[in-house]
Amino acid sequence: MTDSLPTTSAGAPTQGAAPTRPAGTAPGTPGAAVVVDHVSHTYGRGDTAHHAIHDLNFEVMPKECVSIVGPSGAGKTTLLRTLAGLLQPSEGAVWVNGKKNTGVPDGMAMVFQDYSRSLLPWLSVERNVAFPIAGSSLSKPERKALVDESLEAVGLKGFEKRYPWQLSGGMQQRVAIARALAYRPKLMLMDEPFASVDAQTREGLEDLVLSIRDRYDMTILFVTHDIDESVYLANRVLVLSRPPATLVEDIRVELAEPRDQITTREDPAFIHLRGHVARLIHSGGEPV
Amino acid sequence: MTVAPEKNTRKSERAERAARPGRPGRGRGVLVALGYFFIPLAVLVVLWQIATTVAPSPFFPPPVDIAENLVKLLFGGDAVFTEVFYNDFLATVGRMLAGYAIGAAWGIVVGTAMGLSQGSRETVTPIVEFLRSIPATATLPLFIILLGGGDDMRIIFIAYGVSWFVLINTASGVGSIHRTMLDLGKVFKISPARRLFSIVLPAASPKIFAGLRIASTAALLLAIVSEFILASNGIGFQLIQAQGRFQLLNMWSWMLALAILGLLINFVLDAVENRVLSWHKLSRQKI
Repeated sequence: MTDSLPTTSAGAPTQGAAPTRPAGTAPGTPGAAVVVDHVSHTYGRGDTAHHAIHDLNFEVMPKECVSIVGPSGAGKTTLLRTLAGLLQPSEGAVWVNGKKNTGVPDGMAMVFQDYSRSLLPWLSVERNVAFPIAGSSLSKPERKALVDESLEAVGLKGFEKRYPWQLSGGMQQRVAIARALAYRPKLMLMDEPFASVDAQTREGLEDLVLSIRDRYDMTILFVTHDIDESVYLANRVLVLSRPPATLVEDIRVELAEPRDQITTREDPAFIHLRGHVARLIHSGGEPV
Repeated sequence: MTVAPEKNTRKSERAERAARPGRPGRGRGVLVALGYFFIPLAVLVVLWQIATTVAPSPFFPPPVDIAENLVKLLFGGDAVFTEVFYNDFLATVGRMLAGYAIGAAWGIVVGTAMGLSQGSRETVTPIVEFLRSIPATATLPLFIILLGGGDDMRIIFIAYGVSWFVLINTASGVGSIHRTMLDLGKVFKISPARRLFSIVLPAASPKIFAGLRIASTAALLLAIVSEFILASNGIGFQLIQAQGRFQLLNMWSWMLALAILGLLINFVLDAVENRVLSWHKLSRQKI
């Protein structure tokens, strides 16, 4: 039924799409990496129903690095689980690389918030990184090369034989990122990946995301509740309202590249943007 | 400032040691453990020996006699082992192991199915709780009526009694796997079989092992009890025979055999657990 919905709505980036597109083809701009088309989700029903997200519409083009930010409990995780195909939305649909999500889409990797649960403690670092590709058709040397390269990209060369629980939290999250990279995803989802590491480790991990963004050919969608982080990392910031979450604003971030933890954060444009995002979030989605 | 690097090396040393589970420093640890185990035991044996020498009693034979008698029961004759060793000792061990293996396998399979689906857990749990409340030993008469007095009955009886411990622990272990770990399998499109064998079962293995441990004690107990009735061989049978003929020395010798058997099983399980679950122990030490 969602296929026949008109794909235009006020302010949505899907504006201008032909209302009578052929069945089975994605709405929105052709070639978009992700199209979120009138997605709403409600948990439960009756009196205890929780309307988490309401009529979300946006699209992400290939190679974009988009952060999704919103007040806590805004349905960010619901949105991400929907994008990942782990949750079927009550209404609307998500399209990844031109295909409608009916389960987990192809070529998608995810970095979870809780690294201590997402890494398998009975496997060494290198076997954790190799885990998603261990069942693939790649040859052993090819797999080894992917693992080595990914560990090198996250700065964990020499830690192959260690176990996750022998590493600090920041290093564990690097392992999780390396695992996602070894999978060679087209789309990488990150669910508040740095929420449970200390501030300095966090800066290092943010710069790691910037470096892999430039090095690998992939689209990154990044959920965070940290306003500075959302602006620092992204080409675009999507601001969500309080639940039921709607899209408050879609902000293009044009800051000087390469970004730098000190100079970027001093940039008046950065300060202006973070102020703007903060105001939007604190007002909970009311116009400012 | 000077403390930090020292602390670091110690940390990395510990990590190094942990990476190769249980190599260096192991010999001494084992010796100390053996000391803790054998010294109190030796004291008990010596006291018992002295007491029975001072005041002999037909009910409590001296420990040296018990041990000597056990050796005579099991070893010697024409070959290394006596007929009793094969007919009774090994028969019990065989029944126990067969029942244990079947019960453990059944417990792991059903427990995993229960743990994975909340629906099946909710449906089956009341039945499981009810059935396992019946002491397994109380079901022996029923098993005899249904299956007769043969070895197959004994093995199935042991399997039945043992399975509950493994089942409950497996269901709880599988059911409490964190959602993130399960999502991981789905997100990276891991095949269902690999998800089961490479995520679910390893993640639940500490709890499964705890169940296997309790089950091993139960297996020995049930094997002996099953040999009390309608049996023609086995350690349980020999115990009842000794009781009937008032052969107290034999009774004590068989009890000693069972104690040694129990310790041996524990030792094997310890060794397997150390190998399979070293990651679990070490990761917990870290926290």
